[in-house]
Amino acid sequence: MSGGGQVWATALHRLWRAVATIGAREDLAALVLPPLQALPGVIAVWGVRHAADGAGIAALRWRGLPVDEAQAARLLATGGAEIPPELREQGVHRVVAAGFEVPGELSGSILLLASADADAPSLTECLGQVVDVTREAVRRLGARRAAEEEQVRDALLAEASLQMDAVLDTGQTLQRVARMAVPAIAEGCLVYVCSDDELGLRSAVHVDMRKLDAMLADAAAAGALAELAGRAVAGRPERLRAVTGWTRTVDAQVLRARGRVVGVLLFLFDRGDELIPSPAFLRDLTHRAALAIDNGELYEQRRREMIALQQHLLPRRLPAPAGVALAASYTVGDQVLEVGGDFYDVVVRADGVLAALIGDVCGRGVEAAALTGMSRHTLGTLLQEGVSPARALGRLNAGLLRDGSWRFVTAGVGLIRPAGGGLSVQWTSAGHPPPVVLRRGGPAEPGRGGGVPLGVVRKPSVGRSRLLLGPGDTLLMFTDGLTESRDACGRLFEDAGLEAALDKLNGAPLDELVHELSRAAAEFGTTGADDIAVLALRASGE
Amino acid sequence: MSDYLVLVVEDSDEDVEAIARAIGRSHPQVRVEFLRAGTEVLPRLTAPGAELPRLVLLDLNMPGEGGLEVIRRVRAEPALAGLTLVVFTSSEDQAEADACFAAGADSYIYKPINFALFRTVLRQTLDYWGKVAPTVVPPPGDSATRT
Repeated sequence: MSGGGQVWATALHRLWRAVATIGAREDLAALVLPPLQALPGVIAVWGVRHAADGAGIAALRWRGLPVDEAQAARLLATGGAEIPPELREQGVHRVVAAGFEVPGELSGSILLLASADADAPSLTECLGQVVDVTREAVRRLGARRAAEEEQVRDALLAEASLQMDAVLDTGQTLQRVARMAVPAIAEGCLVYVCSDDELGLRSAVHVDMRKLDAMLADAAAAGALAELAGRAVAGRPERLRAVTGWTRTVDAQVLRARGRVVGVLLFLFDRGDELIPSPAFLRDLTHRAALAIDNGELYEQRRREMIALQQHLLPRRLPAPAGVALAASYTVGDQVLEVGGDFYDVVVRADGVLAALIGDVCGRGVEAAALTGMSRHTLGTLLQEGVSPARALGRLNAGLLRDGSWRFVTAGVGLIRPAGGGLSVQWTSAGHPPPVVLRRGGPAEPGRGGGVPLGVVRKPSVGRSRLLLGPGDTLLMFTDGLTESRDACGRLFEDAGLEAALDKLNGAPLDELVHELSRAAAEFGTTGADDIAVLALRASGE
Repeated sequence: MSDYLVLVVEDSDEDVEAIARAIGRSHPQVRVEFLRAGTEVLPRLTAPGAELPRLVLLDLNMPGEGGLEVIRRVRAEPALAGLTLVVFTSSEDQAEADACFAAGADSYIYKPINFALFRTVLRQTLDYWGKVAPTVVPPPGDSATRT
């Protein structure tokens, strides 16, 4: 091998090794042009990156004589046969050209501008070898870029799903949908949502929020975007150039979940076409967003139904009998969309005796809700008609057993009559937590419970006790959600918080008492698993 | 896009490293300067003869002076009214985004956990703001007309 051949072989070897480490196509010229320029007789080396349409030139690089776009184009068109006079004046008498193509990448050419005494066959061979290296480098760069883009899109889809699934609030979901897309895949994202047969812009994010504000304030631009969204809903999603003067490209994707059109996402692009994700990817992202929005709407609908149902299970208002103040509180202990089973009511018998009832159906959900409604209405109706508490509880027990429900019900009924200056309370319990009497200015005194929960045994067993309330004394009736609220150490509110809370609230207005007591128990607990119902009555002062 | 300066205000060591690595790969020609606390921003920007960055990348939740306060203080300086302020945060709280825009932020970018996505988000942010001509003179009147 000659000395020149050895130098060339070393240079070529170095080129092949560099192919594995090159990070960008922009770095290629600095790698491949200098060895070619060093070949005997070479005056200049020009590198040409052709435009995507094949007609123009996307980029030019050079060593030796500065490249001229028109001259490069002419040399390429004639295969180097027609050398412009300006180049001849610079000593260029031979031109050797070679090109390469890589699927999915911009094609390229390299031109060697050489003197008259240059060895053309040798230059052709060397250029061919460098073009082989360049082609492989471009192929590897393209493959690496494609892999990175796929990795980014997978990551984006995963992160978008994670973010959108983390919230059930539709408004927040809409914001997150738009924010996840910007600027990773688009400069802007507009979310249009169908509501009552109308398409409205519900969320908009742009990498440049001032530009977005100005664009949406431009009536013509906002109108054009809304029309594009409308056409997408009508079944004609499009990707259009220059829909407005504010953005280069707009892609419309329909938000469709479970066969229902939820709305439209408009992706706004200011970047080059090669950096715009494929419609298939945008469809995938949009589909996930649609599911998240749909889930949020379904959740909101169910939450509204749950609240309505819960309200129907409790009395709309309590009576206002003379000599007795009443207050009640109901705290939903679980965020899960299920109706709780606590109930309370106060009815006035024809003879003026007051009957206060409280109860708890075990479990949650639709079946528990049905039993809750049935239990409250059964007890309330019977007590109002003058049936004794024990007999009313017995009738409910029989009803539960007749229906074959596995659920049991605890309940307590207080019959309240005036007695001296205060009230007498006849308390009847079917496995329900005992009430508490809060003496005016004195300590809290526990009442008695007893009895067996309803729906368990055929012959009901009730606990009976009598309490006397002096003026200003308060009777507190509650469900076990209050007493059995547990802190992180597993301690019950009944053991570790109730007494202090009652001491603190002694003498407080009745409304404040029931709400603050419920709040204290709920805050004491860490799981919030059970509902808390509190019903209080206070004998009027002297 | 040519050589320009990006000022990054970030207290987390991990994020400083990740931002330096990401910008170093996607925009090797861009110079990156880090400040580790919100209180350092105004003295740095208002120092006599200080080079102003093309954009400020600002973390939101930092001990002491947070990103929102930094935005307010920068926007209160007439000489800095044209500076591009990009909030780069892991917070998804829309109320925080609204507060940042109300205070004068130009952009509110979500900081992803995945590094490939993190790098892409930063690359696109710098690509966008690198192309936007820097505003040398504070825009008069309504800032919303500046694009």
